[in-house]
Amino acid sequence: MIKNEKIDQKEFLEIRKEVLKTWPTGQKVSIEEGIRYHRTLPEEKRFSLAMLKAQKSRKTLLQPRAGVALIDDHIKLLRYLETEGEADLLPTTIDAYTRQNRYEEAEKGIEKSKQAGTSMLNGFPAVNYGVEGCRRVVESVSRPVQVRHGTPDARLLAEITLAAGFTSFEGGGISYNIPYAKRVPVEKSLRDWQYVDRLVGIYEENGVRINREPFGPLTGTLVPPCISIAVGIIEGLLAIKQGVKSITLGYGQGGNIIQDVAAISALRELAEEYFRQEGYDDIELTTVFHQWMGGFPEDEAKAFSVIALGAIVARLSGAEKVIVKSPHEAMGIPTKEANAQGLRATRQAISMVEDQVILKPEDLKTEVDLIKAEVRCLMNKVYELGHGDVAAGTVAAFEAGVLDIPFAPSLYNHGKIIPMRDNEGFIRIFNKGNLPLSEEIMAYHRQRLQERAQAEGRAISFEMVTDDIYAISKGKLVGRPR
Amino acid sequence: MKKDTIILGVIGSDCHSVGNKILELVFSSEGFHVVNLGVMVSQQEFVNAAIETNAKAILVSSLYGHGEIDCQGFRDLCIEKGLDQIILYVGGNLVVGKKPFSVVEEKFKKMGFDRVFPPDVDLKKVAELLRQDIKEKFGQEAAAEEKQPDASPKKHSAAN
Repeated sequence: MIKNEKIDQKEFLEIRKEVLKTWPTGQKVSIEEGIRYHRTLPEEKRFSLAMLKAQKSRKTLLQPRAGVALIDDHIKLLRYLETEGEADLLPTTIDAYTRQNRYEEAEKGIEKSKQAGTSMLNGFPAVNYGVEGCRRVVESVSRPVQVRHGTPDARLLAEITLAAGFTSFEGGGISYNIPYAKRVPVEKSLRDWQYVDRLVGIYEENGVRINREPFGPLTGTLVPPCISIAVGIIEGLLAIKQGVKSITLGYGQGGNIIQDVAAISALRELAEEYFRQEGYDDIELTTVFHQWMGGFPEDEAKAFSVIALGAIVARLSGAEKVIVKSPHEAMGIPTKEANAQGLRATRQAISMVEDQVILKPEDLKTEVDLIKAEVRCLMNKVYELGHGDVAAGTVAAFEAGVLDIPFAPSLYNHGKIIPMRDNEGFIRIFNKGNLPLSEEIMAYHRQRLQERAQAEGRAISFEMVTDDIYAISKGKLVGRPR
Repeated sequence: MKKDTIILGVIGSDCHSVGNKILELVFSSEGFHVVNLGVMVSQQEFVNAAIETNAKAILVSSLYGHGEIDCQGFRDLCIEKGLDQIILYVGGNLVVGKKPFSVVEEKFKKMGFDRVFPPDVDLKKVAELLRQDIKEKFGQEAAAEEKQPDASPKKHSAAN
C-alpha cells in the first residue's frame, strides 16, 4: 500500500534507471549537470522567485498556454508571447502523445509537422527533443518557463525538462490522472508523482528551487470548489513530503464572482492550515487562477469578454498568477497572434482593477465558511480512510467515491456526483454520490438549487446540467430553458 | 422497432470526456442504441466494437487537434475488416489551429468520412441526419431485419 513517505535514495535510483531507459533521450540526463546549469540561471528566469515577488508586491502575473511540434517554431511562439503578449511567465505545453508516453507517435508527429510546414501536434514533444533541445528553449527566452501538460506518468518528462533548465512543473498524481487518463490506477499515478516530487526535492536539496503547481481546474466542468481544493491540498501535502518548497495551488474559474473569490481565499487559508498541521511552516505557497476552462463562445468579441471577466476575478481574488485563454478557444489551439491578444485583453482588465481593493474574506464569509466546511468533510474522511496517511487515504477515497471528480474520463473515478448552477450561478451539488458532505451542507445546496428550479418553472433535472455546460459558449452563465 | 446501434468514442490519445458523455445522453434519448467506448479509443477498438455489435455507424470525436493524424486510414481499416457499409461521422476541433470549416470538412471527407461536424453543431440535427443516412444505406436490410425481430437480439448487447 502506498504511503505518504519520502522515497529513499536507493529506491529512487533504482526506479530512475528504468525510467531513463524508456526513450533514448533519457540516457543523456544528468541531475548533477542539471543542477550546475540551474545555478547559472539569472534571477529573472527562476519561477519560484517570480511567484514570491508577485506575492510580496501583490501582483498578478500573466501566463499563457502554448506549445508546437517544432523547436524553432516553439521558440518563435514563446518569444512572440514574451514581446507582443507581454507574458510575465512562459509555458511549454506538451503534446497529447507525450502525455500518454507514446513517444513513437510523437516522433511521427514531428516528421509530419516538418512535411506539412505547420504543427500537427497540440504541443511540444519535449521528451523526443531531450535535454539538449529543451535547453535551447530555455536559452532563447528571458522569462521563467514552466512545463504544462496532463501526464499521468511524467517521470521521464520531468527528468528531461528539469535537467534542461525549466524552473516549474505542473501536475500531480490526482489532477493529471483522473481528468487526463482512462485506465491508470490512482495508486500508480500517485507513486509516479512522488517520484517527480522527489526529483524536485533533490534539486531543492542542492540549492535549486523548482516551483510545483498541482492542476486545480480538473475537468474544468462544473467542478464544485471543495473538490478542487481538497485535491490541491492533498497534492501539496504529497509534494512537500518529497522535499518540494515552492508550491502554487490552482483553481479554475467557476463563473460566479463571489464563489470564485471565496474559493481562492478558502484554498489559501486551508492549504496553510493543513501544511502547518503536518508540520511544515517553510513552504512558499502561492495561488493561480485559471480563466474559464469550459466551452467558449465562437464569436471572438464574446470570447474576449469571457477572458476579461476571468482577468478581473483573478485580480479580485488576489491570486499571484492567472492562466490566460485566447479568443480562439472555441476552435481549439490558438495562433500566436490570438494568444497574445488574450494576454493583452487580460492585462488591460487587470490593470483597471489592480489598485482597487482585493475582496476580503469577510465580505464573502458565508461562501468561504461553506467551502471550508466542505473541504474539511472531504479531508477528514481521506485521513480516516488512510488511517492518518494522506496517500493511502486518497487511493481509498477514489475507490469509495469519497473523492469524485465530475465528468472525468478515468475508470477509477466514480463519476456519480451531479453538480449544477443555482439561480445566481454558484456551482452547487445536486447529487453528492458518496462525497462525505454533511446533511446540513447538502440541505443548503438543495435549497439553493430549488430556488432555481422554481424560478425556471421546471424540476431539477440532468437537462439543467447540459444546459449549464453549454451556457457560457451560448452567451450566458446559467443554462436557462429557451 | 429495433434500435439501430451506433458506436461513440473519442479517438487517439484524446481524453476530452465531457462532450462524449453528452453525446451518449442525446443519442440515447434520440432512440439509438449507443455503445460508448469513452475516451482514448484506437481505430481498431472502434472497428472491433462495430463488428461485435453489428453497428450501423461510428461517430468519432476529436477535440485536441491530433484528429488529422489519428483518423488517417480509418475508412481503409473498416473496409479491410469487412465493414463496407458502415457510416462514418467525425466531429469536434479536428485540426490544430483555427481554419475555415470548409477546409477541414473537405480534408476529412477525402479521408472517407460521410459527414464532418464543427464543435458547436446541434446534436438533434446530427441525429436526424444519421437516421436519414441509415435509412438510405441500410433501408432494405433494416426492413428485412424487422420481419425477423428476434433474429439476432443477443448480438446487440455484446458490448454493454
